[in-house]
Amino acid sequence: MQATKSFEQAFLKHLLRGCRLSAVSYKSMSLQERKSAIKLSADVAMASARGGRKWTRGLITKLSKEDEHRSFLQLILGTEYGRLTKPCHGSWKIPRSKKIVRRSLRVCSRRKNNLRAPHGVKSSVLARTLVEKRTHALKRLVPGVESLDGYSLLDETLDYVISLRAQVDLMQKLLTTFEASKLGALSKCTLPERKASFVGK
Amino acid sequence: MSSRRSRVSEEEINELISKLQSLLPEARRRGGGRASAAKLLKETCNYIRSLNREVDDLSGRLSALMATVDNNSAEAEIIRSLLRS
Repeated sequence: MQATKSFEQAFLKHLLRGCRLSAVSYKSMSLQERKSAIKLSADVAMASARGGRKWTRGLITKLSKEDEHRSFLQLILGTEYGRLTKPCHGSWKIPRSKKIVRRSLRVCSRRKNNLRAPHGVKSSVLARTLVEKRTHALKRLVPGVESLDGYSLLDETLDYVISLRAQVDLMQKLLTTFEASKLGALSKCTLPERKASFVGK
Repeated sequence: MSSRRSRVSEEEINELISKLQSLLPEARRRGGGRASAAKLLKETCNYIRSLNREVDDLSGRLSALMATVDNNSAEAEIIRSLLRS
């Protein structure tokens, strides 16, 4: 499963715009500050490139909590900012699905655990508590999903993970490209010049 | 408001679960059997944390590199080539 081409383009555009916007004080910025600015730009880029999910709204809202971040976000996103932070109306997936998810997942855990259940304690009770604990942990990791459960929660999580992977891949691509161009510059031949010499031949 | 059309089928849920599992790094090693809910949630959380760490690391490396990129035309060329690929 991959993110789309349009996601790639939107992500890179926003990331580079964000980096350029914060480049004003680059000379006076510490390495840590620059790193935070890039991370912030990357997260904004990811959320806005995807758009329209609970987690994208949750992420932008979370990032806007700090005042200085908010104005930076408004700069990068422009009119999109209003759309991305608009409160979401209820999902069409009904809460009843929570029981179906638990039931279908618990069947597997019971098949594996029923021979080793500790004396007097039902394995399904243990499994349920652990599932609850880990569900809470997941909700802390995926932005904007506190009110979701079952299918909706997994659906948002899947989308978020796919987008995170794309974010990593694209930043890696960008890094590789910059590094390659640096090596090219070191050999005293910049990219545009090299291209021009090819055309000449 | 509960119409039959908006109800989620078990099939849809199973599909979602297996899609999520196929993304996780552990999925390659495991055979056919499906993991428990607790395991799936744990591995998903771990995976998200590791992806966040990667982004953090890449941000650091990018910031070190971008500090030295001051040639605007080279940067524009890079951007153009990336958007083309």
